[in-house]
Amino acid sequence: MAKKSITFTVNGKEVSVDAAPGEMLVDVLRGKLGLTGTKVGCREGECGICSIILNGKLIASCLVPVMKADRGTILTIEGLEQNGEMHRIQKKFIEDGAIQCGFCTPAMVLAGKALLDENPHPTREEIQLAISGILCRCTGYQKIIKAIDSASQAGELR
Amino acid sequence: MQAQEIVAYQKDMEWEEYLVPGSLDEALEMLDRYRGAARVIAGGTDIVPAARKGAPGIKALVDITRIPGLDAISLDGETVKIGPLVTHTEAALSGLIRKRGMALAEGASRLGSPQIRNIATVAGNILNAQPGADTLIPLLALDGSITVRSRQGERSILLADLFTGVGRTTIDSTKEIVTELSFPALGKGEASAAMRLAKRKTLVLPILAVAVVIGTDPGRKTFTRVRIAAGPVATTPFRCKTAEEILLGSPIGEAVIRKAAEEAAKAANPRTSLIRGTSEYRKAMVAVLVERGIATALKRLEESNG
Repeated sequence: MAKKSITFTVNGKEVSVDAAPGEMLVDVLRGKLGLTGTKVGCREGECGICSIILNGKLIASCLVPVMKADRGTILTIEGLEQNGEMHRIQKKFIEDGAIQCGFCTPAMVLAGKALLDENPHPTREEIQLAISGILCRCTGYQKIIKAIDSASQAGELR
Repeated sequence: MQAQEIVAYQKDMEWEEYLVPGSLDEALEMLDRYRGAARVIAGGTDIVPAARKGAPGIKALVDITRIPGLDAISLDGETVKIGPLVTHTEAALSGLIRKRGMALAEGASRLGSPQIRNIATVAGNILNAQPGADTLIPLLALDGSITVRSRQGERSILLADLFTGVGRTTIDSTKEIVTELSFPALGKGEASAAMRLAKRKTLVLPILAVAVVIGTDPGRKTFTRVRIAAGPVATTPFRCKTAEEILLGSPIGEAVIRKAAEEAAKAANPRTSLIRGTSEYRKAMVAVLVERGIATALKRLEESNG
């Protein structure tokens, strides 16, 4: 399998990697770029744990061949913190106790970010829909919904 | 030892080439070059899990998502046209589709999860040909068509003539590429609705999906157009023709709608399934969903005053 060099912007930085045609985006992010904040669950799009934001859209990175990300823009959980300060959504997850085991947290935070970027003041139903593709096996959904809601009410998002 | 386990878990996909054509002609040439061993990928949400489970013989993927001009939703005369790269999210939110074929927007809004809908294309959902597919049942009720191009030329097929079995169509996906989906835009006096019965709202296949399209005379006295589709209740997406015939031309009323719904249930032949429930239950639910679908479409007509 001939490797190919691809280039994309990850968390604001342009990155080039050599990748094989069969590699999936989640593996390149974790294995080649060391961005292990993105977790791997089912590998078939059922659990949403590997969710990241690609070109402004929340996607399951286990389903996306890395070649699809060529020249794209990626945001992972590591990209939310700026100048040592956490993103408002992350702060609200902590304040509202929306983290239990933590395994779904990166995906949930990014789902909240993708939602609030498009819809700064969502209803409870819209928040539920936005996180509906991610399983939290601690079943801590209520606090997660509350944290995203708190973030939406906490003024301008960065 | 530990490293080995990780490698096994991270197994790459089997394809040796990932091709990114800049035009349809180039994409068709690539398919041709691989003589059946190449597949088209758009969103990839069907082909990637299938390949992971060992769908054999895929040597190359041809990614058509960088080909310009394939992502539009437009009204051409009185036909709604949907490009092959239109995603479920885009179809669900499209003002044009919501106004002129609401059932399709509803169906698109229910597939998979937000993450899946953001990349999965409607064309892919149709071509995957599962008999209860969320956009397929509405598009069948809307008298939809699919247009494909090969190196020999272009052809259009009515969805009603497309399916030959579970996951099977008359389209050869190793030689042909979808260029368009289309359906006659619903107009004055017409409305549609899609109903779905499932264990939960997200990331679950439907126990049943039903779509109805109705048209009435200006005085809203009689049905002048009726289409009812349901799935999965047979090996292919199913049109409830006997039910349609009962309603067509008949005065609008609860009794005749119930009779048609019961006929639809009689004609449907759902399997007993561990995931989806017993055949008896699902047959009974066909009647319920058809009745609700028609009631919903009639209510939409009232509300739109159309």
